[in-house]
Parts: sequence; structure tokens; C-alpha cells
Amino acid sequence: MKELDPLLHSQLRLGIISLLISVKEAEFTHLKDETNSTAGNLSIQLQKLKEAGYIEIEKTFKDNYPQTTCKITKLGIKAFENYVKDIQQYIKPKK
Amino acid sequence: MEEQNINPEQSMQIIQSMINRAQNNVSDNGFYFIFWGWLVFATSLMFYFTLKMDMQYGWLVWSLMPLGGIYTGIYSYYQHRKYNPDVQKKVKTYAEIYLGYLWIAFGISIFTILFMMGKLGEATYPLVINLYAIGTFVSGGILRFKPLIIGGACSFAIAIFSFFTPFENQVLLIALSLLVSYIIPGHLLRNKFKSQ
Repeated sequence: MKELDPLLHSQLRLGIISLLISVKEAEFTHLKDETNSTAGNLSIQLQKLKEAGYIEIEKTFKDNYPQTTCKITKLGIKAFENYVKDIQQYIKPKK
Repeated sequence: MEEQNINPEQSMQIIQSMINRAQNNVSDNGFYFIFWGWLVFATSLMFYFTLKMDMQYGWLVWSLMPLGGIYTGIYSYYQHRKYNPDVQKKVKTYAEIYLGYLWIAFGISIFTILFMMGKLGEATYPLVINLYAIGTFVSGGILRFKPLIIGGACSFAIAIFSFFTPFENQVLLIALSLLVSYIIPGHLLRNKFKSQ
């Protein structure tokens, strides 16, 4: 059996990637609300995903308010697809 | 969500629930459907009235259209710029991007049809109604919102019917088309948006 991608095999990081895969981009506050996470924990997990090249994070100022926008990368989409494929091996009934 | 060990079944559940969330959120508050629905509805009725009264410059009521365009332009500018947690865009979905392309195509087509009015003659308004139908039918598909799809389908039928209708009554059919495919579904969409 293939080892599951440890970066995605975590509740919050998997949640983030699953959310980002279905939208073009999402703001930090949106991710926080949807995943029910704390700002601190979310920042750490986003940073890990960014370091792996799975997501892009853009920090901007919108009318003097800081704004963090996250977007999945091609590498991230690939990683997610592989993760789903790998996980199916574990779920399929054994013959 | 706490950091903890998860098993493959839980992983699948997370993926499913997150993707469902993104899909079930209606990102459209129905403003454009309601605004344009009522504006064109009222204008076409006014125009019908001026035709009945034989008023010479009745067509001038259509100058409300560019004014409406300016107003929606300003509205969408503030919607995207102003810092207001209620209206600020927190997420950009693919649906919004597809809708953007659809309505640009709609705008270009309606401009072409109206510009070619001289050549199209009495086919002009039926083609406009047909275009209204495309707008809501496709929007309904993108937003997965049935009332828009049904409203669009009704306008397709109204468009065919209007080809066999005298010019004056075509104006009333435009109003009917806006009622069934913009105003009613627009308000239903707004209710759904508010309730989530």
C-alpha cells in the first residue's frame, strides 16, 4: 500500500485543500469560518502547505485592512488527486 | 478542527463535507436580476403606455437603460472595494467567473441586436426576449438554481410566441418575460442567499 501524503493526511490541512480545490481563491477569514479553526492554527497549517508549494498565499491591503488570499497551485491539485487515489486503496473492500 | 490522527474514512468525509460546503453556498444575492428585472419591466410598461397614447418621443424612456448601467457599475465597484464585512468578497468561486463571461456575452449581443434594429424589424424584440431567456437559463445552470432555469425556459417560449405578435404587444411580452425569468427568480434567489 502506498504511503499517504503526510502533508494532506491531517484534518485541517485536508480541509483547507478540499475547500480551495472547489473555488478560485478564498480569503483567510473564509477558510477560518468554514474549517472552524483558530487563526493561529490555520496560519501554521497554511504556511506548511505553502512551503510544500501546494498553495499560494497573497498578502495585500484592501482599504488599509490586511487581507490574505489563498489559492491552490497545480502541484496542490496534483497532490490532492494523488491523495484521493491513494486513499481509495484503503477504502476499497479487500478481495 | 483539531490536529489529530485521522483514518481514510474520515479523510473522505472531510473532503466531501468541504466540497459540499463550497457548492451549496449561493454566491449571488440576486441584486442584478432584481434590479434589471424591475427596471426593464417598468420601462417596457411605460413604453407600452407611450405607444398607446401615440406620444412622439416615447422611445426616450429607454434612456433609463444607460442610467441603470451606470448605477450597476457603481454598485459592483463598491461591492468589491468597500470594506464592509457583509458585502466584502471572501471567496471567489468559478461560478462567478463563468457568470461574468455569460453577462459580457449578453451585453455584447443585446447591443448588436438593438444596433441592428433597422435590419431586424419586428424580429428585434423576440430576439431580445430570447436573449433574456439565455441569460437566466444559463445562470440558473451555473448557480444550480431551478427557478432561474424554469424562468429562462418560460422566456424561450415567450420569445417564440412573440414572433407572431404585433409590435405593441411584444412590448408587453418583454414585461412578462422579465417578470417570470428575472423578478420572481431574482427575489427567490435573494431569499435563499439571505437564509444561508
